[in-house]
Amino acid sequence: MAEDLIRMEHINKFFGRVQALDDVNFRVRRQEIVGLLGDNGAGKSTLIKVLSGALHATSGDIYVRGKRVEMRSTTDAIAEGIETIYQDSALVTQLSIARNLFLGREPIRGPHFLNRMDSARMDGVAGDLLRRVGIGKAIPASTPISSLSGGERQAVAIARAMYFDSDLIILDEPTNNLGVAETQGVLRFVRNARDSGHSCIFIAHNIHHVFQVVDRIVVMRRGKIVADDIDPKATSVAEVERVITGDFSGPPH
Amino acid sequence: MQKASLLRTTISAPEFGPFVLLVLELAVFYVINPEFLSVLNIGNTLTFTVELGLIALAMTLLMTAGEFDLSVGSLFGFAPVVMWTLFNAGWTSLAVAFVISLVIAALIGLVNGLFVTRLKIPSFLVTLGMLLVARGTALFVTDGFPQRTWSAGGQWIANLLVGDFYIGPLRVYASLFWFVAAAVILGYVLTQSKYGNWIQATGGNPVAAQARGVHVSTVKVALFILTAVMSSFAGIISSIRTSAANPNSGSGYELEVIAMVVIGGTALTGGRGTILGTVLGILILRVMRNGIVLIGVPGLAYNIFIGAIILGMMALHSWLERRHQAGT
Repeated sequence: MAEDLIRMEHINKFFGRVQALDDVNFRVRRQEIVGLLGDNGAGKSTLIKVLSGALHATSGDIYVRGKRVEMRSTTDAIAEGIETIYQDSALVTQLSIARNLFLGREPIRGPHFLNRMDSARMDGVAGDLLRRVGIGKAIPASTPISSLSGGERQAVAIARAMYFDSDLIILDEPTNNLGVAETQGVLRFVRNARDSGHSCIFIAHNIHHVFQVVDRIVVMRRGKIVADDIDPKATSVAEVERVITGDFSGPPH
Repeated sequence: MQKASLLRTTISAPEFGPFVLLVLELAVFYVINPEFLSVLNIGNTLTFTVELGLIALAMTLLMTAGEFDLSVGSLFGFAPVVMWTLFNAGWTSLAVAFVISLVIAALIGLVNGLFVTRLKIPSFLVTLGMLLVARGTALFVTDGFPQRTWSAGGQWIANLLVGDFYIGPLRVYASLFWFVAAAVILGYVLTQSKYGNWIQATGGNPVAAQARGVHVSTVKVALFILTAVMSSFAGIISSIRTSAANPNSGSGYELEVIAMVVIGGTALTGGRGTILGTVLGILILRVMRNGIVLIGVPGLAYNIFIGAIILGMMALHSWLERRHQAGT
């Protein structure tokens, strides 16, 4: 069994008197795709926000590669190699694909004090990356994000996470509002990312999408992890649905 | 996406509409009154154009980052009052007074920026407040009277800022070179440097920019400072050229400057900005003001034309934007 990339131990999170996370223990191994499932309000998003630095846990510890870390901001998380991809929100639509990929880490050409972006290199690297994640035949790296489809935007965000060697890529509802072909595209990008050495956490409402791609399913309910090690190959969708709703009397609805 | 031809790219550029409008303006005014393109008139038009233009250039970057500044007009009046008051009282030389007033301007920009980024108050309200503070201070300090400025003659700093000379028959002030230099530098910063990428990202999607390690607040504060300093610089240049430091000067400039910037194709909501477009926007408005007087339209009708240009250009930009997005 591969070593743990991420360990979250005894995580509690209160919003006022409401407990959103209740003694959560969660881990992600290297080169593993974890599906995180749960109904609305189960605590998935809160857990992910704590891990990606957007929220601070009330108590508990986070270990990355065995080392205890403080996540004060999303910038801290990115520095630790944890990249979160929210639908649409992670890209600047007015900027080109290449400029988005290198935003905040632009390569410089010429005298340093001029801070001139190396556009040729940015376009070149971006083109290679787009081909690697599986799009790029027809899309030049200078295309603004605003003229890309939802799936292509996800691909750009995933390509960026791969290029900057994020060990963990968190995808929050990456297949929402996507067509069938685009969803398959995103699932393929996720597999490609795992096969090139990255771990992923995949959050989706559509259990079928999760089943197609993940190695392990974790289920949350009312702020707690209620199932930690569901093997999608040995479990049915209906069984997982019952774990999610907590209704073991029969099929839901 | 198919390969766009050079012609198509040119036509769909945000600067194309303003460019056509400017050419049209020049042609119409010239046909009606050939005096319009006389050396004397070109010189006259350029003189004040570049002073207002300095503010518009800085405002372009600030608006690209998603903020704007209403206090520019009052700083245009405030900074020269500070400089001349210090100088006339005999406390410092003109050069030192010049530096002090720019430092004060930078502090005002810093305060604007901190209010917007730290206290999360919209820039409309913050800079509206600063407009009143700066204008009120200028009026209070001077009792509402213009400051003596006759002693500018012979000062080296005055010559450096607005010394005039002739290129052939064309009278040119040094401020034209300050304007060209500012346009080239800020154009470079916005399109070629990594800071330009940060500015556009700050206006386009601040959350994403912050997550990528761009210091969104620092970008905004720096641009508020830049805008305040440029406005004061412009005001000082103007006061030396016209030998007048009137505490009321610059009233209403904020709106004219914002109009120049948006006519050129910079988005009021941020994320997209163009220095070239702003230069065109500056020329469009100033040429219009000069031209309609020259062809005999009463100067009071000026605002009708300016309003129509703003509405027309906004319609054009929004149409281009929607066409651009149609592929999604």
